[in-house]
Amino acid sequence: MEEQLRALAGPRRRQILELVRDGELSAGQIAAHFEVTRPAISQHLTVLKSAGLVTERRDGTRRLYRANPAGLAGLKQFIDRFWATGLARLKTEAEAEAARPGRRHPAARRGA
Amino acid sequence: MTITGDRIEHEIHIHAPPEAVFRFFTDPAMHDRWLGQRATLDPRRGGIYRVVMNDTATVVGEYIDVEPPHRVVFTWGFENNRQIPPGSSTVSVTLTADHSGTRVRLVHTGLPHPAIAPHHHGWAGYLTQLADTAAS
Repeated sequence: MEEQLRALAGPRRRQILELVRDGELSAGQIAAHFEVTRPAISQHLTVLKSAGLVTERRDGTRRLYRANPAGLAGLKQFIDRFWATGLARLKTEAEAEAARPGRRHPAARRGA
Repeated sequence: MTITGDRIEHEIHIHAPPEAVFRFFTDPAMHDRWLGQRATLDPRRGGIYRVVMNDTATVVGEYIDVEPPHRVVFTWGFENNRQIPPGSSTVSVTLTADHSGTRVRLVHTGLPHPAIAPHHHGWAGYLTQLADTAAS
Protein backbone atom coordinates (compact mmCIF):
# COMPACT_ATOMS: atom_id res chain seq x y z
CA MET A 1 0.00 0.00 0.00
CA GLU A 2 2.72 2.48 1.02
CA GLU A 3 4.76 1.44 -1.99
CA GLN A 4 1.79 2.00 -4.28
CA LEU A 5 1.17 5.45 -2.86
CA ARG A 6 4.81 6.33 -3.38
CA ALA A 7 4.79 4.96 -6.91
CA LEU A 8 1.67 6.96 -7.73
CA ALA A 9 3.11 10.10 -6.18
CA GLY A 10 5.07 10.92 -9.34
CA PRO A 11 2.98 12.71 -11.99
CA ARG A 12 5.08 11.16 -14.75
CA ARG A 13 4.38 7.69 -13.41
CA ARG A 14 0.66 8.42 -13.34
CA GLN A 15 0.92 9.52 -16.98
CA ILE A 16 2.72 6.30 -17.85
CA LEU A 17 -0.03 4.33 -16.13
CA GLU A 18 -2.65 6.13 -18.20
CA LEU A 19 -0.76 5.19 -21.35
CA VAL A 20 -0.64 1.49 -20.59
CA ARG A 21 -4.07 1.29 -19.03
CA ASP A 22 -5.78 -0.12 -22.10
CA GLY A 23 -2.98 -1.88 -23.91
CA GLU A 24 0.61 -3.04 -23.94
CA LEU A 25 3.42 -0.72 -24.93
CA SER A 26 7.17 -1.15 -25.09
CA ALA A 27 9.48 1.06 -23.05
CA GLY A 28 10.49 2.80 -26.28
CA GLN A 29 6.89 3.54 -27.23
CA ILE A 30 6.26 4.91 -23.76
CA ALA A 31 9.41 7.05 -23.87
CA ALA A 32 8.28 8.52 -27.21
CA HIS A 33 5.40 10.21 -25.40
CA PHE A 34 7.67 12.19 -23.12
CA GLU A 35 10.58 14.53 -23.39
CA VAL A 36 12.70 12.61 -20.96
CA THR A 37 15.49 10.12 -21.36
CA ARG A 38 14.86 6.46 -21.91
CA PRO A 39 16.71 5.50 -18.67
CA ALA A 40 14.41 7.86 -16.76
CA ILE A 41 11.40 6.04 -18.21
CA SER A 42 12.96 2.67 -17.36
CA GLN A 43 13.43 3.88 -13.81
CA HIS A 44 9.75 4.85 -13.57
CA LEU A 45 8.71 1.50 -15.03
CA THR A 46 10.82 -0.31 -12.45
CA VAL A 47 9.10 1.57 -9.64
CA LEU A 48 5.65 0.90 -11.12
CA LYS A 49 6.45 -2.77 -11.63
CA SER A 50 7.79 -3.16 -8.14
CA ALA A 51 4.60 -1.62 -6.73
CA GLY A 52 2.55 -4.11 -8.72
CA LEU A 53 0.96 -1.35 -10.78
CA VAL A 54 2.24 -2.60 -14.15
CA THR A 55 3.20 -6.00 -15.47
CA GLU A 56 6.12 -6.69 -17.78
CA ARG A 57 6.17 -9.22 -20.60
CA ARG A 58 9.11 -10.12 -22.80
CA ASP A 59 8.60 -10.39 -26.53
CA GLY A 60 11.93 -11.27 -28.11
CA THR A 61 14.25 -8.44 -27.18
CA ARG A 62 11.40 -6.07 -26.32
CA ARG A 63 9.81 -5.65 -22.96
CA LEU A 64 6.13 -4.81 -23.03
CA TYR A 65 4.29 -3.10 -20.22
CA ARG A 66 0.66 -2.76 -19.30
CA ALA A 67 -1.30 -1.64 -16.27
CA ASN A 68 -2.09 -4.34 -13.76
CA PRO A 69 -5.77 -4.03 -12.80
CA ALA A 70 -5.25 -5.99 -9.61
CA GLY A 71 -2.54 -3.57 -8.50
CA LEU A 72 -4.60 -0.58 -9.54
CA ALA A 73 -7.46 -1.73 -7.41
CA GLY A 74 -5.23 -1.72 -4.33
CA LEU A 75 -5.67 1.86 -3.19
CA LYS A 76 -9.38 1.83 -3.82
CA GLN A 77 -9.67 -1.39 -1.88
CA PHE A 78 -7.60 0.08 0.94
CA ILE A 79 -9.86 3.12 1.28
CA ASP A 80 -12.98 1.08 0.67
CA ARG A 81 -12.00 -1.27 3.46
CA PHE A 82 -11.02 1.68 5.65
CA TRP A 83 -14.59 3.02 5.50
CA ALA A 84 -16.20 -0.40 5.73
CA THR A 85 -14.31 -1.15 8.93
CA GLY A 86 -14.85 2.37 10.26
CA LEU A 87 -18.56 2.41 9.61
CA ALA A 88 -19.01 -1.01 11.18
CA ARG A 89 -17.37 0.42 14.31
CA LEU A 90 -19.51 3.53 14.09
CA LYS A 91 -22.59 1.32 14.06
CA THR A 92 -21.42 -0.58 17.14
CA GLU A 93 -20.53 2.58 19.07
CA ALA A 94 -23.59 4.61 18.08
CA GLU A 95 -25.92 1.76 18.96
CA ALA A 96 -24.16 1.24 22.30
CA GLU A 97 -24.51 4.95 22.97
CA ALA A 98 -28.19 4.96 22.05
CA ALA A 99 -28.82 1.97 24.30
CA ARG A 100 -27.22 3.56 27.37
CA PRO A 101 -29.56 4.19 30.29
CA GLY A 102 -30.95 7.67 30.19
CA ARG A 103 -30.85 7.75 26.41
CA ARG A 104 -34.05 7.26 24.51
CA HIS A 105 -34.05 4.37 22.14
CA PRO A 106 -34.76 5.47 18.56
CA ALA A 107 -37.94 3.41 18.54
CA ALA A 108 -39.17 5.46 21.48
CA ARG A 109 -38.80 8.62 19.45
CA ARG A 110 -41.43 7.65 16.98
CA GLY A 111 -44.58 9.62 17.49
CA ALA A 112 -42.73 11.87 19.90
CA MET B 1 -4.37 13.55 -20.16
CA THR B 2 -6.47 14.17 -17.10
CA ILE B 3 -6.44 12.26 -13.91
CA THR B 4 -10.11 12.24 -13.10
CA GLY B 5 -11.60 11.22 -9.79
CA ASP B 6 -13.71 8.31 -8.80
CA ARG B 7 -15.92 7.47 -5.92
CA ILE B 8 -16.39 5.05 -3.10
CA GLU B 9 -19.84 4.60 -1.62
CA HIS B 10 -21.10 2.89 1.48
CA GLU B 11 -24.48 2.69 3.07
CA ILE B 12 -25.29 1.18 6.45
CA HIS B 13 -28.16 1.24 8.89
CA ILE B 14 -27.71 2.13 12.54
CA HIS B 15 -30.24 1.61 15.30
CA ALA B 16 -29.79 5.09 16.75
CA PRO B 17 -31.33 8.44 15.84
CA PRO B 18 -29.53 10.81 13.43
CA GLU B 19 -28.79 13.25 16.30
CA ALA B 20 -26.80 10.53 18.11
CA VAL B 21 -24.98 9.36 14.99
CA PHE B 22 -24.16 12.90 13.89
CA ARG B 23 -22.12 13.59 17.03
CA PHE B 24 -19.72 10.79 16.05
CA PHE B 25 -18.62 13.00 13.13
CA THR B 26 -18.23 16.25 15.05
CA ASP B 27 -17.25 15.50 18.66
CA PRO B 28 -13.54 14.50 18.98
CA ALA B 29 -14.09 12.10 21.90
CA MET B 30 -16.96 10.41 20.07
CA HIS B 31 -14.99 10.34 16.82
CA ASP B 32 -12.08 8.60 18.58
CA ARG B 33 -14.42 5.76 19.46
CA TRP B 34 -14.83 4.64 15.86
CA LEU B 35 -12.11 6.06 13.62
CA GLY B 36 -8.41 6.57 14.17
CA GLN B 37 -6.57 7.30 17.39
CA ARG B 38 -6.98 11.01 17.98
CA ALA B 39 -9.19 13.52 16.25
CA THR B 40 -8.94 17.31 16.19
CA LEU B 41 -12.26 18.61 14.95
CA ASP B 42 -13.68 22.08 14.45
CA PRO B 43 -17.07 21.27 12.94
CA ARG B 44 -17.95 24.42 11.08
CA ARG B 45 -17.34 25.46 7.49
CA GLY B 46 -13.57 25.85 7.01
CA GLY B 47 -12.86 24.22 10.39
CA ILE B 48 -10.18 21.57 10.68
CA TYR B 49 -10.79 17.82 10.35
CA ARG B 50 -7.62 16.05 11.45
CA VAL B 51 -7.36 12.43 12.53
CA VAL B 52 -4.19 10.67 13.62
CA MET B 53 -4.74 7.16 12.27
CA ASN B 54 -1.51 5.54 13.47
CA ASP B 55 2.20 6.31 13.89
CA THR B 56 2.69 6.91 10.19
CA ALA B 57 -0.62 8.16 8.85
CA THR B 58 -2.61 11.29 9.65
CA VAL B 59 -5.71 12.31 7.74
CA VAL B 60 -6.09 16.04 7.23
CA GLY B 61 -8.93 18.03 5.74
CA GLU B 62 -11.51 20.61 6.61
CA TYR B 63 -15.25 20.72 7.07
CA ILE B 64 -17.10 22.04 4.03
CA ASP B 65 -20.66 21.61 5.20
CA VAL B 66 -22.07 20.89 8.65
CA GLU B 67 -25.85 20.59 8.90
CA PRO B 68 -26.83 18.80 12.09
CA PRO B 69 -28.15 16.17 12.19
CA HIS B 70 -28.44 15.29 8.52
CA ARG B 71 -25.32 16.12 6.60
CA VAL B 72 -21.62 16.57 7.12
CA VAL B 73 -19.05 17.04 4.37
CA PHE B 74 -15.30 17.30 4.83
CA THR B 75 -12.19 17.14 2.70
CA TRP B 76 -9.78 14.28 3.23
CA GLY B 77 -6.15 13.49 2.47
CA PHE B 78 -2.97 12.28 4.13
CA GLU B 79 -0.36 14.49 5.72
CA ASN B 80 2.98 14.30 3.84
CA ASN B 81 1.47 12.40 0.96
CA ARG B 82 1.58 13.84 -2.52
CA GLN B 83 -0.77 11.32 -4.03
CA ILE B 84 -3.69 12.03 -1.71
CA PRO B 85 -2.56 15.33 -0.15
CA PRO B 86 -4.51 16.98 2.67
CA GLY B 87 -7.86 18.23 1.51
CA SER B 88 -7.62 16.58 -1.92
CA SER B 89 -10.64 14.30 -1.76
CA THR B 90 -14.11 14.80 -0.31
CA VAL B 91 -16.21 12.72 2.06
CA SER B 92 -19.96 13.41 2.17
CA VAL B 93 -22.06 11.81 4.88
CA THR B 94 -25.84 11.89 4.77
CA LEU B 95 -27.96 10.73 7.70
CA THR B 96 -31.60 9.93 7.03
CA ALA B 97 -34.02 8.95 9.77
CA ASP B 98 -36.12 5.87 9.12
CA HIS B 99 -38.54 3.78 11.17
CA SER B 100 -35.83 2.07 13.21
CA GLY B 101 -32.92 4.53 13.32
CA THR B 102 -30.66 6.10 10.73
CA ARG B 103 -29.57 5.27 7.24
CA VAL B 104 -25.96 6.40 6.87
CA ARG B 105 -24.68 7.01 3.38
CA LEU B 106 -21.00 7.84 2.92
CA VAL B 107 -19.61 8.91 -0.45
CA HIS B 108 -15.88 9.47 -0.92
CA THR B 109 -15.05 11.30 -4.16
CA GLY B 110 -12.03 12.87 -5.83
CA LEU B 111 -9.68 9.98 -5.14
CA PRO B 112 -6.81 9.69 -7.63
CA HIS B 113 -7.92 7.96 -10.76
CA PRO B 114 -5.24 5.43 -11.77
CA ALA B 115 -5.59 3.64 -8.50
CA ILE B 116 -9.33 3.89 -8.55
CA ALA B 117 -10.02 2.71 -12.08
CA PRO B 118 -13.62 1.54 -12.21
CA HIS B 119 -13.18 -2.02 -11.08
CA HIS B 120 -16.44 -2.80 -9.46
CA HIS B 121 -14.92 -6.11 -9.04
CA GLY B 122 -14.49 -6.98 -5.39
CA TRP B 123 -17.19 -4.62 -4.20
CA ALA B 124 -19.71 -7.33 -3.54
CA GLY B 125 -17.18 -9.02 -1.29
CA TYR B 126 -16.65 -5.92 0.81
CA LEU B 127 -20.33 -5.25 1.18
CA THR B 128 -20.85 -8.81 2.32
CA GLN B 129 -18.00 -8.44 4.79
CA LEU B 130 -19.50 -5.17 6.02
CA ALA B 131 -22.92 -6.73 6.43
CA ASP B 132 -21.39 -9.62 8.37
CA THR B 133 -19.43 -7.27 10.62
CA ALA B 134 -22.44 -5.07 11.18
CA ALA B 135 -24.66 -8.02 12.02
CA SER B 136 -22.24 -9.66 14.46
